[in-house]
Amino acid sequence: MLPATALALAVLAALLAWPVPALLARARWPVRDPLVALVCWQAVGLAGGLSMIGALLVHGLAPWGHSLPEAWWSWVRGEPAADPVRGDHWVTLTLAAVLAFQLVGVLVLSWARIARTRRRHRELLELVVQPGPQADARLLEHPAPVAFCIPGARPLLVLSSGMVAELDEDQLAAVVAHERAHLAEHHHLLLLPFVAWKAALPVLPAAERAHGAVRELVEMRADDVALCSLSGTAPRRTLAEAIVAAAAGSAGGEVPAGALAVSATGVRARVVRLLEPADPLPPAARWSALTGAVLLLLIPTALLLLPAF
Amino acid sequence: MASLGELERAVMERLWAADGPVAATRLRDELADRGVALTTVHTVLTRLEQKGFVQHDDARPRGFSARASREDHAAELMHEVLGQAADRQAVLARFVGSVNDEEARLLRELLGR
Repeated sequence: MLPATALALAVLAALLAWPVPALLARARWPVRDPLVALVCWQAVGLAGGLSMIGALLVHGLAPWGHSLPEAWWSWVRGEPAADPVRGDHWVTLTLAAVLAFQLVGVLVLSWARIARTRRRHRELLELVVQPGPQADARLLEHPAPVAFCIPGARPLLVLSSGMVAELDEDQLAAVVAHERAHLAEHHHLLLLPFVAWKAALPVLPAAERAHGAVRELVEMRADDVALCSLSGTAPRRTLAEAIVAAAAGSAGGEVPAGALAVSATGVRARVVRLLEPADPLPPAARWSALTGAVLLLLIPTALLLLPAF
Repeated sequence: MASLGELERAVMERLWAADGPVAATRLRDELADRGVALTTVHTVLTRLEQKGFVQHDDARPRGFSARASREDHAAELMHEVLGQAADRQAVLARFVGSVNDEEARLLRELLGR
């Protein structure tokens, strides 16, 4: 019988929909090891979706068999159910289908929309940028100090002339190293599921919180990677100076005021952890966090595939 | 043989520098050092038109001109980059967002300590 499995998955889904993301977003350790925290967030997102859809599917298919694969196969072949099928079975089956289509559909739509915007930006950039001070960086004529990269098959790393004027050579190298880290580690792919999740489930506060946390962690991770490749006497201070100069330099510009508060706390957190680095996470804590992430994915998978007790 | 992307840039440079609409034959002559055929110039112009960077008039021969100046394109792009649309960070990874004057002061204090 499957009801126990469905209940376990539902409990897991409820935990992953609110308390777990809330705890992870409030925890202090992610700042000390953004990479491990990013792995945990991916696990939370994936396990959350899996258990949510799984719980509905398992409950809906319960009359057809003793394990999900068995019940699914018997349902697909149109075999009669072993137990009586009630209305709630059909309701949960429908909900499972709607939710699955919603999550996958929004993911695909987000990807398509983002790819289209990127292509447009790349077309514009290829016309207006000039070769920059670094081999792989392009220069865009604009007074605001801005640096960004457009990920994808043909990545572009762009510095504005305002940025080049504002920063010295070491600081500029730190900025470029940070953007290169985004591209090298494909951070846009880590961010995509959370952009989609937020769009698919706007009522879920955890989706918003998760997206914000992942955005910040990706920046911190890029800072960490950048530090490894910087020479100079005090790379941490150089990068912190570059961040402050770039964030403050475009202050009071054409940026809408409503969006500022969120990014400001993120910027401050980045600067603080560069200037006053916390101890790295001890190996034991690191490994237990990673084990937790793996377990988080294994539990719903096992519940879905193994025969119910 | 130059790539299409380079040719697009070269053609746009000529159009931006020109006073008025430019005929395709004149573009071919100006790009003579690259050994570009007239058909290639037309291909490049069509691509640029599809991207919305170039327009043509109905004169004979057709005159081509840039839809917006280089500065306008740069400004349009920066408007998008500086804007904070919900999925902006997914489209492009910006080094750091902007903060208001008060936050900027606090950040400088952090550095000064």
